[in-house]
Amino acid sequence: MKSANINTFPITATCPACGLLCDDIALENINHQLKVTKPNCAKTVAFFERAIGENTSLIAGKPATLQEAILKVAEILKQAHKPIFTGLGTDVQGYRALYSLSQKTSARLTHMNATSMARNLKVLQSTGWQTTTLTEVKNRADVIVCFGSDLLSHNARFFERFVDADGMFVSAKNRQVVVLGEASNQAIKSDALQAAWVLPCRATDLPSITIALRALVAGKQLKATKIAGVKVGDLQTFADKLKAAKYAVLTWVAKDLDFDHAELTIQNITETVAILNKTTRAAGLPLGGSDGDTSANNANTWLSGFALNDDALNDEHAEHDAMLWVNSFSPEKASPQTDMPLIIIGNSNIQHQAEVFIPIAIPGLDCSGTLFRVDSSVVLPLKKVRENNLPTLAEVLCQLEERLK
Amino acid sequence: MITLLKNGKLYDPAHSKNGVVEDIYIRDGRITSKPSQTEKINQTYDLTGKIVMAGAIDMHSHIGGGKVNIARMMLPEFQETKNYSEPEAHICTPNCSHMATPNTSDTGFRYIEMGYTAAFEPAILPINARQAHLEMADTPMIDKGGYAMLGNDDYFLRLLSQKADQKVINNYVAWTLHATQAIGIKVVNPGGISAFKFNQRRLNLDENNVHYQVTPREILKSLSRAVHDLGIAKPLHVHCNNLGAAGNFQTTLDTMGASDGVPMHLTHIQFHSYGTEGDKKFSSAAAQISEALNNNQHITADVGQILFGQTVTASGDSMMQHLNTKHANPKKSVIMDIECDAGCGVVPFKYRDQNYVNALQWAIGLEIFLSVEDPWRIFLTTDHPNGAPFTSYPHLIRLLMDKSFRNEVFAKLNLDAQAMSNLTSLNREYSLYEIAIMTRAGAAKLIGLNDRGHLGAGAAADITIYTDQPDREAMFAKPDYVFKDGELVVKDGKVVKVVWGKTHTTKPAFDIGVEQDLKKYFDKYHTIQLDNFKISDDEFADDGRGKIVTH
Repeated sequence: MKSANINTFPITATCPACGLLCDDIALENINHQLKVTKPNCAKTVAFFERAIGENTSLIAGKPATLQEAILKVAEILKQAHKPIFTGLGTDVQGYRALYSLSQKTSARLTHMNATSMARNLKVLQSTGWQTTTLTEVKNRADVIVCFGSDLLSHNARFFERFVDADGMFVSAKNRQVVVLGEASNQAIKSDALQAAWVLPCRATDLPSITIALRALVAGKQLKATKIAGVKVGDLQTFADKLKAAKYAVLTWVAKDLDFDHAELTIQNITETVAILNKTTRAAGLPLGGSDGDTSANNANTWLSGFALNDDALNDEHAEHDAMLWVNSFSPEKASPQTDMPLIIIGNSNIQHQAEVFIPIAIPGLDCSGTLFRVDSSVVLPLKKVRENNLPTLAEVLCQLEERLK
Repeated sequence: MITLLKNGKLYDPAHSKNGVVEDIYIRDGRITSKPSQTEKINQTYDLTGKIVMAGAIDMHSHIGGGKVNIARMMLPEFQETKNYSEPEAHICTPNCSHMATPNTSDTGFRYIEMGYTAAFEPAILPINARQAHLEMADTPMIDKGGYAMLGNDDYFLRLLSQKADQKVINNYVAWTLHATQAIGIKVVNPGGISAFKFNQRRLNLDENNVHYQVTPREILKSLSRAVHDLGIAKPLHVHCNNLGAAGNFQTTLDTMGASDGVPMHLTHIQFHSYGTEGDKKFSSAAAQISEALNNNQHITADVGQILFGQTVTASGDSMMQHLNTKHANPKKSVIMDIECDAGCGVVPFKYRDQNYVNALQWAIGLEIFLSVEDPWRIFLTTDHPNGAPFTSYPHLIRLLMDKSFRNEVFAKLNLDAQAMSNLTSLNREYSLYEIAIMTRAGAAKLIGLNDRGHLGAGAAADITIYTDQPDREAMFAKPDYVFKDGELVVKDGKVVKVVWGKTHTTKPAFDIGVEQDLKKYFDKYHTIQLDNFKISDDEFADDGRGKIVTH
């Protein structure tokens, strides 16, 4: 097993709390309590330092054995004609088990991030794109663009790890960061961000600004002098900067582009990249990522042949009769309100009113596992870093499948 | 438990058996010599009149890893649905696909149904190796393995440009094989994927990568030497520079000389055999390429035949695939730069028989098949899915074995392309024995799978049994029986038992001291820890169905 020897601290661990999967997390064990000694990332600290909560299964709020709980879940799923499995916050091994169960119960699978995942997928399936990965950013990117305000609240260490650090082909001081958005998270210090050129705008202005930028990069003239409050002269300077860059990286977080047809804004960004690549080098980079969304999408794609592209929670015509909510990593994220029988399998700290609750081992904390980084190409092993007696999701679902036979 | 396969007609080139009628005994998953008379035979299959071959081995097929999954993700319109019955339904899903990029369970089923018992993913990016193995672990029925890509990674290019000692390179190559759990080393567009990141758009064999000031020739020399020095059976797997470009045959010919006689395998050579003659400045150079293959004993090649229809091309060659995006059909593509390691390009293609270039590509592939004399040095591939999906192999075999069928197809092609090909003057028809060499004995020998690809005592009992039919496509599409490690898994072309297969690797000895410098490099430039780059044996065993075999 890829688990650390949990008697020998400090341990270097991998953090599943956001899409960056930082694997340089230093953990100490102080009086049987995990302590993050490096880095100072709020998400990482919250993830590793949260103690185990409810570690027994519950049926209608009353303690039950794991076997009793599994039996009860089997009963609910047997009675259901069209269950929905959602949340899906797990790793590759957990997703495989969920996929297998969904095939045997005719369940629909929809990730808690389905709406934002669909924005990127629509672009991928319409025109495709040219993208890059984090190590390329660190070593090559001389211009880094953030479309939207809030990258740091998703990926707190993005600048520290990949922009403020010197790369093989570019030094940190020679990078230029451009932000199209409002002033960013002030709590996090970054040299590059400090020196960034900020073109203030709201997220909902990005459709018109990105189409204007795309036109300017393509060499077109605009008659307007301002687009959504941004001077066209500034956009022209920005376009020229991109064209002069050796390796510009254009980033966005699909979750923050929360307006109708956001995919068209993303496509403006990726098509700007395509135009730049006619003469110089540039690449797009979708960022964000959480709760195993990239892993679920990849695993679903090789298991079924299709991307995980079902936004069932927003489907008015969906007629489901049982809901399974799986949430390993983010106990603060609640299951959807529902009248259906609700089963929750997940983090022991989830507050809930489920008919059945089964607490499970969290990959990267209570058991080993595997996750995809937000840039998809890098897949990292997760370690078990604390003692516990919780079952893994795959173990629970495997037993559940037996009960469904 | 002993199984007797009685009276079959054996095509077993590793033992020079060309249609010999013999019995085969299977014990504990392996072929065994005739047991003593006192031992009980548990099961007997009467194979009188049937053709018996070892399970086929696909030595180059993109079945796992990032770019294949991107193709699936990008192209939902390529998938079709089908309902399954047991035992396929046991793991197949209503969404199982039958197109260019089938899902993992479908990949395994379609292979075994054709009598293939192993397939090798030829382009594993080391940084993405974990994904490739995850996908292959979910591919049932067949054995798997892969070739790790080097030669465009910045670590190697730094070593080469610093004129590092060959021993240092050898250690790094061996370390990569261990870390990625691969069985061979591949180089894609040597130096070109890196050069594209520095905005170079083409790279010729003796042209410098602008940043590193090293040439593809130097890269090939160094890597082929490393593979040879380390005693790795599989020669360096080479995807030449200038993929798909008119006139690229000269690069291919020159590449054959780049290793100073050290063995190299030139992959999907059809895509690298183009001249510039004729009105359209695109012509067949199959004759020159075949002649050079015949004369260069140290070179092997697989063809990468194209067949007509919709497919998708998935390659590590971001530089050339970026140029190909203008031919995308449907009009979309993904090009990626990846982790200072390599890149990828995924471009859907529709090969059309009335298109001059496509028709000629088809003819060029077949011209090479028919003109290369030694079937031990040429291999049957479509570079799945790049030339065509692997499910078209039975059709391709018929084209090779049946001259009148081949000429009938040829006569329907684009007329200008017909005028530019000498295909109808090539009278050769492959024999069953030669097919068995190309798809079994030769492939096993090339990769170094000593106990596969043959029917001798001690071999793993991967065995395929066909009914001898004049229509070779029908024959090879649907074997009567397939045994995987001694178990009957296919009967009458349908899966009767689900098995999971093994992963083949090679782990040459090396000086672990190489990790000291690698650790510094990772800490300074990479974005993951060195330890997490390496895939442990345990990661295969964790789900209880993966198993590693080291050669």
